[in-house]
Amino acid sequence: MSYKIPMGPYHPALEEPYKLDLICEGETVCDAKLHIGFNFRGIEHLAETRNYIQVTALMERVCGICSNIHTLTLCQAMEQLAGQSPTPRAKYIRVIMAELERLHSHVLWAGIASKLMGFKTMFMTCFEIREKVMDVLAAISGNRVNYSMNRIGGVNRDIEDPQSILAMINQLESEMMHAVIPIFTTSSTARSRCAGVGVLTEEKAISCGVVGPTARASGLPQDLRRATPYAAYSELEFNVPVEPAGDVRARLMVRALEIIESIRILRQAIEKLPPGEINTGDDKVKFVTGTATSRVEAPRGELMYSVSWKEGSRNPSRVHVRTPTYVNMPAVRWMVKGARLADTPLIQASVDPCYSCTDR
Amino acid sequence: MSLIETLPQKLGSSVSWIEKGGVLWLDPGPLSIRELCAEMNAAKARFITITTYQLPATEGFRLEYHWDFEGQLLGFPFKLEGNSIESIYEMCEAVDWIEREIHEEYAIEFTGREYEPLLLRAGDTPGVNLREEVKK
Repeated sequence: MSYKIPMGPYHPALEEPYKLDLICEGETVCDAKLHIGFNFRGIEHLAETRNYIQVTALMERVCGICSNIHTLTLCQAMEQLAGQSPTPRAKYIRVIMAELERLHSHVLWAGIASKLMGFKTMFMTCFEIREKVMDVLAAISGNRVNYSMNRIGGVNRDIEDPQSILAMINQLESEMMHAVIPIFTTSSTARSRCAGVGVLTEEKAISCGVVGPTARASGLPQDLRRATPYAAYSELEFNVPVEPAGDVRARLMVRALEIIESIRILRQAIEKLPPGEINTGDDKVKFVTGTATSRVEAPRGELMYSVSWKEGSRNPSRVHVRTPTYVNMPAVRWMVKGARLADTPLIQASVDPCYSCTDR
Repeated sequence: MSLIETLPQKLGSSVSWIEKGGVLWLDPGPLSIRELCAEMNAAKARFITITTYQLPATEGFRLEYHWDFEGQLLGFPFKLEGNSIESIYEMCEAVDWIEREIHEEYAIEFTGREYEPLLLRAGDTPGVNLREEVKK
């Protein structure tokens, strides 16, 4: 006999409000239905009432974790319509901010995953590490959540002390290499909770169109920083970690390896940071009529903005946002099928869901 | 030959890709969305999203379907005379949430599929054009 267990919308295992209706037989999950929209804000519609400065501030608030990547994507799309390009220094600062944001997002995820594994000590360790990244982000931008860094034609603030970032990433690398990664990969607790759990096969990953670490952990080597480089990524060397297993452990490993690659990118970006202006200084932005699209590799995967403008208009006529969680989350239904009920909190968390992004 | 070369040939010699705003656009001409989706599936293109535009007055809607093919973003505009278009959910699982969202936001009917309960908002009435509701 099957029975339904509702998980959410408000539940200790969920970081944000959404709901999983789990159809179970005994302790085994047979199927699941997902419900979102508990905090749907209509931001796309609201964007049509904002000018180009206001819309940048608005879209930064789509997400509280990857706020910077939203304005980067939006500004790249608006720059196409305004006929502007960011300055060379701004391109590198954009990379540094994007990778710092990826670091703090991945470390935050590792902490939450640890908590769901019952590994509270590791949770505290990860959050302590994340705090150091947040300190650097705050030192650069003056803010901890909404950094207000991106603008059309470049960035708003310079990185005045690149050496402080180097000191932080040296420490972060040491802690990741000597504590977090060895424990996650060798601890029997972590292995027993993650290996073979919540498998998303490569075939199903393609069918669901998943993106980012979720796709790469199912053997799909897709990364927009490599496929269609933006900002200064074409001038930087890095690997795209791919794991074929498709389970929670593979998703964990991909993110751990991405932290190491982000550190590598940050070192190169700081070393190559060119002198010059941080933006074009052009405050009178004129848009041509048309639609421009920009895609970037956000911490959770591909983020896409389509922006439409009519020449002479104060506000965009349409802003469409396709966030990574929006395509990753439906795949959870396939990950939890056949799983133990007790594993479902960790399985759903393994895609690093962001409902702030989804309920945009 | 890749999809980029073969698809315009299937649509007739006068049709060609236009690169604009970061997207490679192609007018699908006589191809239905399901026929286009079959072409995308055969080429192993990755579905990305659908962007909806409500056109002025009674002109209806324009849906822009996007796929990724080998890192290139492809765009195909479909103009809707009324408010319905064939669903491709059965052929492309990844389209599920975006079709449901468009149905709930713009009252566009994706024919040939069933909708689960409301995805994005409270209530029990699917297919309400929220933009028109805001104008009221």
